[in-house]
Amino acid sequence: MSALYELAGVVQRYGEREVLRLDRLDIPEGVILGLAGPNGGGKSTLLRLLAFLEAPAAGVIRYRGEPTFGREYALRGEVTCFPQEPYLLKRSVRANVGYGLSVRGAPDVRSRVDAALALVGLDPGRFAGRMWHQLSGGEVKRVALAARLALRPRVLLLDEPTANLDRDSAELVRRAVVAAREEHGTTLVISGHDQTWLRAICDEILWLRDGGLATPTQESGHFRPSQSPGDIQPVDSDRSNP
Amino acid sequence: MNYILDGLRQALELLFGGDPETFSAVWTTLIVTLEAMAATLLLGAPAGFMLGYTDFPGKRVIRLVVETFLSFPTVVIGLVVYAFISRRGPLGELGLLFSVTGMAIGLTILGLPIVIALTAQAVENLDSRLRPTLLTLGAGPRQVFFATLGEARFGLLLAATAAFGRIFSEIGISMMLGGNIKWSTRTITTAIALETGKGEFATGIALGIVLMGIAFAVNLAASAFRRRAVA
Repeated sequence: MSALYELAGVVQRYGEREVLRLDRLDIPEGVILGLAGPNGGGKSTLLRLLAFLEAPAAGVIRYRGEPTFGREYALRGEVTCFPQEPYLLKRSVRANVGYGLSVRGAPDVRSRVDAALALVGLDPGRFAGRMWHQLSGGEVKRVALAARLALRPRVLLLDEPTANLDRDSAELVRRAVVAAREEHGTTLVISGHDQTWLRAICDEILWLRDGGLATPTQESGHFRPSQSPGDIQPVDSDRSNP
Repeated sequence: MNYILDGLRQALELLFGGDPETFSAVWTTLIVTLEAMAATLLLGAPAGFMLGYTDFPGKRVIRLVVETFLSFPTVVIGLVVYAFISRRGPLGELGLLFSVTGMAIGLTILGLPIVIALTAQAVENLDSRLRPTLLTLGAGPRQVFFATLGEARFGLLLAATAAFGRIFSEIGISMMLGGNIKWSTRTITTAIALETGKGEFATGIALGIVLMGIAFAVNLAASAFRRRAVA
């Protein structure tokens, strides 16, 4: 069976600057994949490519065996992304969490919104009626995460989900995303700086530095190879281009 | 000082006594403002939205032209429209000169650049995270469009309020294209100018009170809508 995502020869450039070059990367369905590495290493760019928000400058991304180019709108129905600094629509919490469900014409929006809010530790009775500007920074993040969880996506991409969250909120996020995989088989790709947090939940962690896959060196002294490597195959350039 | 206080007292008598000439001017003002605002918003809001929402070659030039028109002298608008709708003008046969519709056309031209420029700016100033957020939540092109419109609603309201302020209180265009005809095209502003010129302060003050009252009421309503949503 082919992997959920297959990236081959993918290069991304912003203007003249090359920000990502991946000769090959396969992401199997159902894994929790971590992305680590320094700022500007290419983590966010990779997530935007996986979210079909941008098309690569070169190379091919296959999703479930098919090239993705030109099918972005349809594919974004299965893949959603939780950005580093989430944006809430100027509406109520309920309308924000329900937005993705509404555009899909999903039934039971109300109860699914309530369930998603409960997943991120927000009492629907207290929070659903609030407006976007009546929330703290941490609550904004949790509402935004609830909006993604409510969709029960096949793939959930998270860009530094625990940045600026306190320990309890980070634990809530961990439980919520792990539950998404256990209950709905969601594939997760999570970037982050918090090594401990990442290692606690990921099957495998990829290192991105200077836009390419790297092996952790001295700067990642805490890195411990995953116990079960799984079937993620970051193949570095020497091997993929014989 | 006395004649001012006398004027104020007589003004209140005119207003509360329901003086028909005063109320004719108020009514005409409301009708012409309503017509001009409807046309301005129907034409200007979509144009401004598209100008801010889309990218196309020549966009910067159009923005520049629109912004230049923001400071277009109102007498020139009056003059140009007059030339077009006067008997000898290309639209002379429609008989629009010295009519309420004629005034509304001039006032629409006054309001359009305001609504277009402010709407375009409101849409351009929306948070850059809005589009990727909508896309990753699964919105299609149409849904992105309407959600963007919703996010820009306060900007649209501001554009409409600004255009209303100019249209409602404009005098030059109303005078030139309406002709200040009693019972017909006399508006609050043209009446005040005429009555003050004649030394009839009472009517002028009465009409001034109505003009300010309506302007305040509209702006209060607009800011109440904003406050209800934001605070």
